[in-house]
Amino acid sequence: MADLNRHLGRREFLRLAGAVGATAGLGAFLAACGASGATATPPAASSAPVASGAAPSAAATPGPTGTFNWLTWGDHWYQAEMDKIAADIGIKANITSFSDDIDAYTKVQQVGGQIDLVSEDALWVPYFYQHQLIDAFDINSLKVASQLYSVAREFSIWTSPAGYLGYPNGWAPIQITYDPAHVTPGADSWQLLLDPKYKKRVVVEDQPVEVMAYMGKAAGVKDPYNMTDAEVAQAKALLVQLKPNILRLAPQATDTVAALKNGEAWIATINLGADTAVMDQGGPKLTTFTPKEGSIGWMDAEMLVHGGANNNLLMPFLEVHEQAEYVAANFMINRRPLFSEAAYKLLINQGQQELADHLLFNKPETVNTMTLKGPGTSTQAAIAAFNDVFGS
Amino acid sequence: MARGTSPLETMPVSRFARQTRWSLIVLTGAMLAFLYLPIAFLILFSFEDAATPGLPITGLTLHWYQVLASDSAIQSALLTSIEVAVVVTIIASIVGTMVAFPLVRRGVRAPGLLRLGFTLPIMIPGFLIGIGLLIFFRQGLHPLIDVQLGLYTVVAGHLVFTIPFVVLIVASRLQGFDRRLEWAAADLGAGPWRTLRHIVLPLIAPAILAGALLCVTLSIDEFVITFFLIGPQQTLPLYIYTQIKFGVTPEVNAIATVILLVSLLAVTLGSILLTSSRRLRRRRAE
Amino acid sequence: MTVASDGGVPSGPAAGSSSGLVKRFGRALPALPGLAVLLFLFLVPMAIMFVFSFWRTNNDFVVVPEWNLGNYARFFVEGTYLRTFIKTLIMAGLVTVAALAIGLPFAYFLVRYTGKLTQRVILLAVIVPFWTSYLVRVYAWQAILGEHGALNQILQAIGVIKVPLDIFNYDDPGVFVVLTYIYFPFALLALYASLEKFDFTQLNAAQDLGARPDQAFRHILLPQIRAGIITACIFVFIPILGEFLTPTLVGGAQSSLIANLVLNFLRNDQFAEGAALAIIIAAFVTAIMIVFRKSFRVEDVVTSG
Repeated sequence: MADLNRHLGRREFLRLAGAVGATAGLGAFLAACGASGATATPPAASSAPVASGAAPSAAATPGPTGTFNWLTWGDHWYQAEMDKIAADIGIKANITSFSDDIDAYTKVQQVGGQIDLVSEDALWVPYFYQHQLIDAFDINSLKVASQLYSVAREFSIWTSPAGYLGYPNGWAPIQITYDPAHVTPGADSWQLLLDPKYKKRVVVEDQPVEVMAYMGKAAGVKDPYNMTDAEVAQAKALLVQLKPNILRLAPQATDTVAALKNGEAWIATINLGADTAVMDQGGPKLTTFTPKEGSIGWMDAEMLVHGGANNNLLMPFLEVHEQAEYVAANFMINRRPLFSEAAYKLLINQGQQELADHLLFNKPETVNTMTLKGPGTSTQAAIAAFNDVFGS
Repeated sequence: MARGTSPLETMPVSRFARQTRWSLIVLTGAMLAFLYLPIAFLILFSFEDAATPGLPITGLTLHWYQVLASDSAIQSALLTSIEVAVVVTIIASIVGTMVAFPLVRRGVRAPGLLRLGFTLPIMIPGFLIGIGLLIFFRQGLHPLIDVQLGLYTVVAGHLVFTIPFVVLIVASRLQGFDRRLEWAAADLGAGPWRTLRHIVLPLIAPAILAGALLCVTLSIDEFVITFFLIGPQQTLPLYIYTQIKFGVTPEVNAIATVILLVSLLAVTLGSILLTSSRRLRRRRAE
Repeated sequence: MTVASDGGVPSGPAAGSSSGLVKRFGRALPALPGLAVLLFLFLVPMAIMFVFSFWRTNNDFVVVPEWNLGNYARFFVEGTYLRTFIKTLIMAGLVTVAALAIGLPFAYFLVRYTGKLTQRVILLAVIVPFWTSYLVRVYAWQAILGEHGALNQILQAIGVIKVPLDIFNYDDPGVFVVLTYIYFPFALLALYASLEKFDFTQLNAAQDLGARPDQAFRHILLPQIRAGIITACIFVFIPILGEFLTPTLVGGAQSSLIANLVLNFLRNDQFAEGAALAIIIAAFVTAIMIVFRKSFRVEDVVTSG
């Protein structure tokens, strides 16, 4: 169904163009495009089995085929995997990426069931559920869920009477990494970012709410996304100290990696595992720690959008997509812990235990010690404070 | 350039002419180098070995072009961008040209105000237009129709700033247009449509073409408005911008290089064709 | 912007006849689709944003109709916005001056010293970079600027400097350079278009009559290319008021321009607060356009290539 809808959309779209553009040449070109789009459409909505030869071992009984829409981060999938899944079970994903949790929230709120599957972090997951944007489901009805660490199937924030709110994917604390060649070793606190010795040597991400949350943590605030005015003022005071140390506010994770790699930055806040990327690419040997005041972290899940037009495809897709082989391969590409215990065991067999343990793949319970990312009540105050400090 | 005279003849006689000439050449050359410096790096990084584009270069590879060739996500994003640009260009060229006539020929009262009205969408920051339209489509129109975000809404957003360009470009050409040609055609018995088809359109065609080219250029690289108005699709600029957790790889440089080369090729071919067809026509006329 | 009902000035043989309204309406008819776009897809959304700017965003990221002036007051009361806006004006002004200072001799050189074909090729060369992603082009600058960027490495290699220069290391000078890079071509095209129409024999005549070159330049050339200069200025100055990507990509902690502050609200769904700040920028832009509406010629910039 999905495929048909998508291509129909594209066809109608082009037909409109053709109608308006009676301008001969282009009109013909477009019509041709439309036609080719149509021929490329597989028989949609048919429950007919996939070409028999391609039937995989996993799917003994033929399931639904088609394309669904997935709003996710770029690291939840990789091309070879999607190609393989499409070939094996006939389910394709039309993938759209986004950058911040709130982008996906805005988008799903605006387009609803045009998207079938969406990924979000931590407390955003129950937030979506409260706003009736997603459906809860029985996670244990998925066979592959038995591969998860049991702790990942029982997070209280993701539990509702109607079922579980998302399929757990990965997680990571925000850590601080530094280059011991330039930075006095032994640091264990958020205060390292504020040390006046490191003028213009620190990189944090360009996200006012997150940076204010770090400063909140450094100031000892319990809930840095729901700060009181007094707490915002405390965090802001630290932000003032931080400013002269900032080399840049990095818009993308790769910008942080690049600055560490070429030595322009000595200290940075990173997602767990980004330090290995720096070192892999020939950058300096870094030391990384989780601040003693506690860290902020994310854990993300795939959520079923309420009223998704192609939601019949999601369970069969997740059943394959979450298999240990794919998860383990994803880990090797993207380097952060995931919730699949079976994938961890597979990595041990592949001789990757050292890396996996270093990146806490074996310690999923750590998430219970992190302050989780989520929507908060002090968003506006945090931005106002951030603008006040980082404006002229 | 001064009509009919060669540049040398019109040059002011001055002792400093030589120095002036050379310093101008140096300035122009330096500025061109400045404009191409980032392009050179952009292309260089598309061959870079490491996953993060940047210095120092660790090694050279064609790997990212291979990745590009098999990456359906980026290809479909590019295709979507092209589709949107084509549709936007067709609509904007027609609608914009239609506005230009009454604007120049007193079909409307207060042409000055209208001109200003068509200048603002070009100059107002794109994020304001994008968010305004998003709220208009989703909340403003909601009591009447349920507008789904998608390529239609993106096209609508792009039309807001592309139509004005076509209007202003075509209007400028119409302004310099000798209306006596039309009246002559009318005197000779041509109806309005024939006059339009055989006299007016051929004369303003270069302006329409220039406007259309500009529409393609602007639409295909538009990011901010698209960001707010798109549904579950992805255009190329959006794809490039939203790889935040995963990060930009040299693959993005590779596709930018390919686009650059293809458009260069197209414009070279286009101008060769144009010159030769003009030459042909002139010869036939003789 | 209303459809003409009179006008009185005959325009061509068909005008001024008594068949009145129908004919006049017929003449305005082709403008209707364009006017509809302008009205519904631009003016109405702007009006909505204007209304929003007097409302409030609640903790659920929803804009609720609680009328207030606080969003505007923020701009004037919290010093950071006014200061950043003034800084943005200064940055835009400097880039405009730079673009003119280079663009004018550049265009002069093209028009006076090169043939038609060379002119076309060079102008095309200036435009070609526009055909590839803006994002990727600005990204490439990150590798050129920066402490260990190409610029410093080259200067160090040829022995001009010993320690890396700090001025281009994620700071305002880098933002200035990249903004000049991005907006220079617009200025050049506008200036070229007006210089190309200028009859240079006038300069010779002036000098024959005893004018010094600088006098000839000031009294003969400048007044005639005034519109081109204004167009160039507007095309550089105004877009910088809405620039946020360049400061993000090559700027540092001190480099935020006003649009960065606005977007910090908007990208976190604080629409009412962001709308008010954006409306202030838009009002400023509109005022400039009204003042210079007579001299501003978009078409020159885009057709001279």
